[in-house]
Amino acid sequence: MANTWGYGAMTNSLGDIQNTKAIIIFGANPAVNHPVGFQHFLKAKERNNAKIIVIDPRMTKTAAKADLYAQIRPGTDIPFMYGMLHIIFKNGWHDQKFMDARVYGMDEIKEEAKKWNPEKVADVTGVPADKLIQITRLYAKSTPGTLVWAMGLTQHSIGSSNTRLAPILQLALGNLGVEGGGCNILRGHDNVQGATDMCCLSHTLPGYYGLSKGSWGYFAKSWGVDYEWLKGRFKSEEMMGEKGFTLARWYAGVLAGKPGEDKIKNAGTNLKALVVLGNGITAIAQQAKVKEALDNLELIVLADPFLNEGAILTDKQNDVFVLPAATQFETSGSVTATNRAAQWRNKVIDPLYESKTDHDIIFELAKRLGFYDELTKGMLLKDDPKTAKPVKVKDEFQWPEDATDEIARTIKTIGLTGWTAERLKKHSENWHMFDEVSGRGHGPMKGEYYGLPWPCWTTEHSGSPILYNINRSVAEGGMGFRNRFGLEREGVNLLAEKGSAPKGSANKDGYPEINAENIEEVLGITLTAKEKSLIGKNWKVDTSGIIAQKCMEQGMAPYGNAKARAIVWTFPDRIPLHREPLHSPRQDLTKDYPAYEDKPNHYRVDTQYISKQTEKDWSKEFPINLVTGRLVNMNGAGVETRASKYLAKLTPEMFCDINPGLAANHGIRDGAMMWVHSPEGTKIKVKAKYSHSVSEDRVFLPYHFAGYFQGEDRTGNFPQGTKPYASGESANTVTNYGYDIVTQIPETKGGLCRIEKA
Amino acid sequence: METNTKNALSSKVGRRSFLRMAAIAGAFGATSAFATSNVTRKATEEEIKNPFPGSKLIKTICTSCSVGCGVIAEVQNGVWVRQEVAQDHPISLGGHCCKGADMIDLVRSEVRLKYPMVKENGQWKRISWDTALDRITKKLESLRKEDGPDSTMFLGSAKFGTEQAYYFRKFAAMYGTNNIDHQARI
Repeated sequence: MANTWGYGAMTNSLGDIQNTKAIIIFGANPAVNHPVGFQHFLKAKERNNAKIIVIDPRMTKTAAKADLYAQIRPGTDIPFMYGMLHIIFKNGWHDQKFMDARVYGMDEIKEEAKKWNPEKVADVTGVPADKLIQITRLYAKSTPGTLVWAMGLTQHSIGSSNTRLAPILQLALGNLGVEGGGCNILRGHDNVQGATDMCCLSHTLPGYYGLSKGSWGYFAKSWGVDYEWLKGRFKSEEMMGEKGFTLARWYAGVLAGKPGEDKIKNAGTNLKALVVLGNGITAIAQQAKVKEALDNLELIVLADPFLNEGAILTDKQNDVFVLPAATQFETSGSVTATNRAAQWRNKVIDPLYESKTDHDIIFELAKRLGFYDELTKGMLLKDDPKTAKPVKVKDEFQWPEDATDEIARTIKTIGLTGWTAERLKKHSENWHMFDEVSGRGHGPMKGEYYGLPWPCWTTEHSGSPILYNINRSVAEGGMGFRNRFGLEREGVNLLAEKGSAPKGSANKDGYPEINAENIEEVLGITLTAKEKSLIGKNWKVDTSGIIAQKCMEQGMAPYGNAKARAIVWTFPDRIPLHREPLHSPRQDLTKDYPAYEDKPNHYRVDTQYISKQTEKDWSKEFPINLVTGRLVNMNGAGVETRASKYLAKLTPEMFCDINPGLAANHGIRDGAMMWVHSPEGTKIKVKAKYSHSVSEDRVFLPYHFAGYFQGEDRTGNFPQGTKPYASGESANTVTNYGYDIVTQIPETKGGLCRIEKA
Repeated sequence: METNTKNALSSKVGRRSFLRMAAIAGAFGATSAFATSNVTRKATEEEIKNPFPGSKLIKTICTSCSVGCGVIAEVQNGVWVRQEVAQDHPISLGGHCCKGADMIDLVRSEVRLKYPMVKENGQWKRISWDTALDRITKKLESLRKEDGPDSTMFLGSAKFGTEQAYYFRKFAAMYGTNNIDHQARI
């Protein structure tokens, strides 16, 4: 999504869904996974007569609330969306004016869409042609419409193409930058958005600054450390710029060199130590490999409020450390909800037992590793307005406020300047002063949106509740698309066309992102000599705040006003193209829609695509689609929720949703035990639960369980008093090999399996 | 069902566990098991209306999912005693799902980790924080020296506060590796 229009985040908000006329949901199940958020969907339906359309391999509880439901074959969202575009373009239901003014590259999309007539889509996706037509007509004719997705769209080897085509569908309909429209991605954990913005990610520094030398230099300055010192901490300057291993494939970094394992490129070493803070590693695909990797590490450190079940999965006998971490109620700080809005989470009680907060654990490690002063120095600094350089203003920091303010003075890319601790606290303290639909504040909070959804350009800015909305002024959260991909491509202007600037903009046309060179010309202003001497190279590193300030005065967004793009020339597929999953039940289609070429050094691991897909006809031995997902009473790996006796009681055992027809053919009775086998040669033993929510060609597994491994009860390995109230096989023991070509997210939503009576 | 779940939830309370519960309630002296002695009394109206005198209400945010529902925590003498929905919260509007309503039980769960441990020769052993941290960092230092900083993988959390997430990323940078990731990847 970031590659389409600048930012990869929910464009609107849950409350704003109440403004919509139609909600189309691809691979998300908010009725179960975001039950309180789903209230806003139901209000849209009730108050606004909005239609709900659900596209999902499974008849979920969300689908049960839908006006129209299509049971799609896993991994075929692209043909389905092109099918919609085919019908939309054919009938002229698209928004030509919007496309001309604000989108680049739609002609290639139109060409591709021509290939996907409803009959062809029906063959590939399993959704009848008349259902596709019915859905498309309803959605295209009910504007504004909002498009919602979650992991059902992303967890595929072509996930990054899925998440490009969904925005393109919205762009074609002009459903972007309007109330009731947008692409509303539902994040999972409470602070996925915040932790992602801070980039606990192997491919970028906080704020998505990337890993270039310039970015490292900017952060060294902000942190108050010498670049050369920082460089000296790495093996080499080259390694500073190399993306690291990911959560999805770190195990490969341990196992490389063993027969049959993928090769790695990791500065000449395998991974030997694993340090985990708050991450249920039993929810990662390829559990058998994860176990083998854990067994082969020299050091494992697991810090959680509850026992991380990696600790009982491994047979490693020594040097496994388990540290009691405090919950988030035993500390305070900010948390970013799915709509880019921050809330201040107040501390409820002191850490219980001997538990320590996550930051204390980090600080204690840093002290012993000898870089505590460097680590915490940023909290003592403030940007001096006279020099625009950080200077020391105090001797002791106050957690977390000084960290919040450090982030605010550093992260310009997503506009966190306005997120000072003081403002965020004030918002949460006064949450009753904000409107549930628009987020607008009233009374003392007038002129601000709840949680100051980023970008929040300055310490006075309102926050931006709806991204890319040109019907509002920049000061009120309006903006065009971000200028991120250059000024022109193949002779075509990449900036927005005339007349499509945000309301009240001094510059009525498209304009580039602002830098020290172009600011006077683009904004139509004259800077003083003093301002010129202080201003940063561009808006992303301008610690003087002058660029943001001048932009606000002129009603312009610091990041420019450009076109969204349908073509991403740096990706393996210029436009999103259908490719069958690596393990496809339709072998006949893998010839026309083959997987990508194998990709070397993909986050340090050589990764298989076509070679895995063509290794053999997987569907012969493994004819059933395998889908995983969540339960209403559980979260993530289930480490926390299974530690609640009440929540555990609702689903005390691991199970498999299976259609009675499929079960009967295998002699599996309702409530009997069954085996699920994966192409990787792994298996799990689970209880069969008859359900018509799945068709006869697929089964569903919840992924919240751990404690059993391939039929073996490992719960005896729990240290005394730490065993949760429910244990079971991890679904991820049988999810298949397969990773997205760009992000490396695992393909857990479209693998294959074989079932058998246990 | 798991045996300990069954026990924890059993509606039939055995004599042994009843006595255990009675012991927990020790602060109030004996319970009705010994009803012959005159130690229980009817609560006063004030006690029913306000069972936790002097308690404070703290506005905070659910840690379950990204919706960000409001939570009102009632705390007395440093103990989280009750949880209430936030009727006036602009997103949750007084709603809670079963996970959100259970936040108080999450924090107070009996199966929480209570102290640092290490596995030695296959056995779990309680150790102090200092011992744990010293031993961990000694090993990390030696790996860092022998094999370089890229021999370590750091996995952070989508359950971190934003400030903690920033600091964990900075920590990995100063350790000298980009081998850091979290749940957004999956």
